[in-house]
Amino acid sequence: MHEWSIAYSVVKTLTENFNKKISKVTLVIPLFSFLDIEILKEAFNELKKENPIVENAELEVKIQEPTFRCRNCNREFKFSDIQQQVGEVKNSYGEEYPLHLMPELLPAFIKCPYCGSHDIEAIGQEIYIEKVEEYGAVERVS
Amino acid sequence: MEPLRELAKEKLKDKKVIAIMSAKGGVGKSVISALISLSLPSDVTLIDLDIHTMAIAKLFGVENVPLEVSKEGIEPVKIRNVNLISLAGIVRDRYVILPGRNQSNVMKELIAYSSIKGKYVVFDLPPGLGDEILVLEELSDFKPIVVTTPSKVSLKVVKYLLDYLNERKKKALVVVNMSYFTCNDQRVNLFGNYNGDVNLPIDPNLEDYIGKIQEYEGEVKKVIEKELIPQFM
Repeated sequence: MHEWSIAYSVVKTLTENFNKKISKVTLVIPLFSFLDIEILKEAFNELKKENPIVENAELEVKIQEPTFRCRNCNREFKFSDIQQQVGEVKNSYGEEYPLHLMPELLPAFIKCPYCGSHDIEAIGQEIYIEKVEEYGAVERVS
Repeated sequence: MEPLRELAKEKLKDKKVIAIMSAKGGVGKSVISALISLSLPSDVTLIDLDIHTMAIAKLFGVENVPLEVSKEGIEPVKIRNVNLISLAGIVRDRYVILPGRNQSNVMKELIAYSSIKGKYVVFDLPPGLGDEILVLEELSDFKPIVVTTPSKVSLKVVKYLLDYLNERKKKALVVVNMSYFTCNDQRVNLFGNYNGDVNLPIDPNLEDYIGKIQEYEGEVKKVIEKELIPQFM
């Protein structure tokens, strides 16, 4: 259900920042949030009807696999290295687990697989609009 | 573009935003946030931004109540006129350790993804002069209520916060907590004399209401209702 908030935020951002009709928007979401893409698109398609700027826009969703760096031991690691930890968090919290609701909480739940520190930097943990294409205009990249 | 920031701003638009803040810890911000919220005349959303202690949930006795999620976002826990949003409902009974750079984004996420109800939004901020104040300034034109005790240490630190707010052209209301004790109808200033916009008494009975603050109708609440609430209505 949280996907509706994100869809709403995308529609809101587009309608506030663009004047021309939009044909396509590319949204990037982090893999470990495990957002349901179908619900996200369904919500977007429902909410876009409210404003002519976005009513014909197609939502493309890119899932980004973030990379991580521990600021304590300076080693880099990938999602596959912490997959088990994420799985444990998902199991203990169920569907609305904290990293689904708030990806920025990641360092509170995940430890560096090498030294155990929580001082983790994630590159690509944000939800952001990567690209917006307008009808008859040059595309804008944020 | 940051959809998160846009959404957080949208959620606070057209609301009366009140921020309970102090540069000093342990002065009673959370108790005052709770009592102000309970004293407001209509529905209010109380958001606990002190993500490390989550005192608000403890005061209302809901620290183990998980939050529900609807199409409108994270649904608050309703207690009387107060709609409570706390990270405690998301992380439950677990420590939260976060690098500084993540903190402001967690705050934005908490505001953006919550279902905010009522005319008023009260923020209980963590102590200090940091991300929380900067984030709140980005998102809303809030009314600052600065909490201190009469102690010299607290007053000194709180002055820094007031200097900052003055520089930002924000008029703060200063609430002096634990200011006096009434004994045989006489006011005794236990920790020194300092007059703020509102001075709150010490009520030893308040401690009995930790976990059920919504039931407290004692002296501190009475002064808040009579002297503080009318100043920002």
